[in-house]
Amino acid sequence: MALSYLSPIVHVTPLTTIRRERNLSVPGVVAVRVNQKVQASDVMGEAEVGRRHVFLDVGRALGIPERQVAASLARKVGDPVEAGDVLAGPAGFARRTVRAPAGGTIVAVSGGRILFETEGQTAGLRAGFAGTVVSTDGIQHVTLETPGALIQATWGNNRQDYGLTRFVGRGPGDRMQTDQLDINLRGAVLVAGVCENPAPLHQAVELSVRGLILGSMTSELIPVAMRLPYPILLTEGFGRLPMNSPAYALLQSNAGREATLDGRMGSIYESQRPEVIIPLPASPQVGMPEDVVPLKPAVRVRVVRAPHRGAIGQIRQVLPKAVSMPSGILARSATVDLEGIGAATVPLANLEILQ
Amino acid sequence: MSAFEAATLIAVDVGSVNSRANLFDVVDGGYRLVATGRAPSTAGAPLFDLGEGIRMALDQVQQVTGRRLLDENESLVMPVTTDGAGVDAFASTASAGPNPRTVLVGLMPDVSLESARRLAASSYLDVVDEISLMDPRREEQQIDDLLRARPDIILLVGGTDGGATDSVLRMTDVVALAIGLMPEGTEPRVVFAGNRRLGAAVNERLGGKVPVILTPNIRPSLELEDLGPTRGRLGEVVIEVRSARVAGFDELRQWSGGYFSPSADAMGRVIRYMSRIYGPEKGVLGIDLGASHTTVAAAFGGQLRLAVNTDLGMGSSLRGVLNPEAISQAMRWLPIDIPEPAFRDYLHNKILHPGTIPVEAEELHLEYALARQCIRVALDRARRSWPRLKGSVGPTVMPALEPIVASGATLGRAPRPGFSALAVLDAVQPTGITTLVLDPHNLLASLGVVGAAVPLAAVQVLESGSFANLGTAVSPVGRGRTNRPVLRYLLERDAGGEKIEGQARFGQLIVVPLEAGEQAKLSLRPERSFDVGFGGPGRAGALRVTGGAVGVIIDARGRPLELPRDPGRRREFNQKWLWDIGALS
Repeated sequence: MALSYLSPIVHVTPLTTIRRERNLSVPGVVAVRVNQKVQASDVMGEAEVGRRHVFLDVGRALGIPERQVAASLARKVGDPVEAGDVLAGPAGFARRTVRAPAGGTIVAVSGGRILFETEGQTAGLRAGFAGTVVSTDGIQHVTLETPGALIQATWGNNRQDYGLTRFVGRGPGDRMQTDQLDINLRGAVLVAGVCENPAPLHQAVELSVRGLILGSMTSELIPVAMRLPYPILLTEGFGRLPMNSPAYALLQSNAGREATLDGRMGSIYESQRPEVIIPLPASPQVGMPEDVVPLKPAVRVRVVRAPHRGAIGQIRQVLPKAVSMPSGILARSATVDLEGIGAATVPLANLEILQ
Repeated sequence: MSAFEAATLIAVDVGSVNSRANLFDVVDGGYRLVATGRAPSTAGAPLFDLGEGIRMALDQVQQVTGRRLLDENESLVMPVTTDGAGVDAFASTASAGPNPRTVLVGLMPDVSLESARRLAASSYLDVVDEISLMDPRREEQQIDDLLRARPDIILLVGGTDGGATDSVLRMTDVVALAIGLMPEGTEPRVVFAGNRRLGAAVNERLGGKVPVILTPNIRPSLELEDLGPTRGRLGEVVIEVRSARVAGFDELRQWSGGYFSPSADAMGRVIRYMSRIYGPEKGVLGIDLGASHTTVAAAFGGQLRLAVNTDLGMGSSLRGVLNPEAISQAMRWLPIDIPEPAFRDYLHNKILHPGTIPVEAEELHLEYALARQCIRVALDRARRSWPRLKGSVGPTVMPALEPIVASGATLGRAPRPGFSALAVLDAVQPTGITTLVLDPHNLLASLGVVGAAVPLAAVQVLESGSFANLGTAVSPVGRGRTNRPVLRYLLERDAGGEKIEGQARFGQLIVVPLEAGEQAKLSLRPERSFDVGFGGPGRAGALRVTGGAVGVIIDARGRPLELPRDPGRRREFNQKWLWDIGALS
């Protein structure tokens, strides 16, 4: 029997097995092996990125016709060369040569020209969180696993980093102020409530913070957030919404621990979602979070749209018939017992399962 | 049983937010829409598989009709069994799936590449780069940029049939070199739609590395553009790319037995068919306002103009209205006072939660303001490729259209018919006399593909009332001072009874009651400087009208529609028009 309704799930889990794939942007060399333990700062692999290409017109440089170029080549396709190495010649009337402009590789010869690929820069693949390698293809992909706490967010500024968590302000709805940020927070991952102006975000740069987890911020700050060097994650979204209590409580219970922030936003066709991973000491095997949870009584949910946006509760009943909302729209709905509010009728489309 | 003999058929449409199933059967000798089911799409996270969402939608149809459609293995029962389970035919459309990253490669930016852009704009492609003969970048830079672009598709065009060859092959060589440098398994598909004499040569240069799809030249001569054949083939390539990232397409195509199409193409087929019925004097307009795309299909005398806007939509594609000017334009439609930061926060949150719906009246107004903006921008872009019709007044007003069909969940779930009618009037700003039709069950795409399987079914369903006729809209072209007389009207019902007559003044929106299905004669006498489409400004006339969910709407707000500059006055007018059209109780 097909599920009757599938709601999105957001994980706020104190202990689960977290498995994540880490990828080099291009094929390279992965140096770790299966079952190897890694720390967040460990480099697991490297690849050469930023290679550029240059056409070298051998015929013109040597003063020979195209049909003679092949015979003039001193190296063949695929040969790595150093800067200055002879690639073709001496040939032609003046016995000229063509030399490599930089270290690199001949990748093609076409129409009397060499397509030369210069060396790029080495980019490393950091683990990002402490864990164990569970699989790798040896050239580009590594899967890491760790038991730990997982807090998924709603929005991120596409940056990644990790550090020890420290709290700012008095609670999950507290407005972040510059006078709350002092030297003791240097290098930490900050947890705060709501941000409404750019000053504390810039102040955090001065303190070299490694990340910021907020409940919400005003959308006006998006351009600022996108330019900052540290990851920013919003658990609720945009506006003035306090962090949801389970996430805040979970972060509080892990205050001082190392947290990895991944602020990358994937499209709806990617599994990537902004999240906080807090590796925890090894414990008896715990399962992985469920990705599919049927919407039914007792399931914990969060309301993601007004009214009661951000409220958390439990499904009391999925209603059999569509209900007319104050807006006049008919919608399949559920009765939800919302914490601090009471029973409310909420469209299924406006619920997220909180697991 | 062949599709042509089918009595019971089901059409499924899979979007990024919703999966829909529409069941058609023969009732009283004609095909009718019998039941619909809707469920959240599962094309995205966490399942990345179309199948579950389709099954949930089919399950809803099962529950409504009591008819078993799936067997114990959750496979489709086909054909209909002796106990009445299953269907005889299955057809499907899809707009779900990531839009392929596409690079356009051609010769001249304003010839072959211009046609390629139009072709790309009529399909679900994200164009990430263009390369032409006039490109200021050196060839090696073009190669580097091609590598950086990581395209899923390269659309290679250029050369009229019998025209340029060397230049096209040189561009092909650049593409071949770049593809040779891509990591194995990441190579794009290449669609060649240029000089047909070069098909073999292009295939030879590329065919060893990547699949090359040869299609007819989209620009066979300088004067002629022919996008249709390539568009169809490109649609298949889009599905292939999507299938690599989202499961379920293979099963869907297997169930459909060849009656499967991208949603936009299927919708276009219906609009083109309608334009052949309605005649060449007016165009037919279809708008599908989805979550991740806004599709505009306009047909004029059987010639289709299709535009798919992948950056406009009521969900994740609201990104297309994130710029300050677009936000400011959208806010002009609000009947309530909302600070701009709050509007922006709402917009960003809606991008994060595309499937959510407005519960409170305030958010309903925000949603519909955004809907108007998406449609207006999509129409502005689409109109650049529309032909100029005889009698067209000018570039700032719409050409004559009949009918206008509006589709998509946002418009379809409006609380009252007047809500969606006003949204369409505001966004499209039709001129003259036109019929507004709402597609509340998102049937347009389904009928486009059902029509391929069972043509009679599509025709009969179109005529059967499954679409909601909102009413006839009369929109005089012209401008004047507020309260200045615009036209006089007289409605005489066929069934008799009291005649309704009156005068519309500038700035007014008047609804003349005429129940759905009721027939009447409508006489219009416009003032000298207003044109309702009877042959020029001031020309009077009469026509037969059929009632709709709203009635006969006389939109005397002027064309082009100019909202008051003062924000407070503008809100008052927006509120008043909502009341006048019956959108508010």
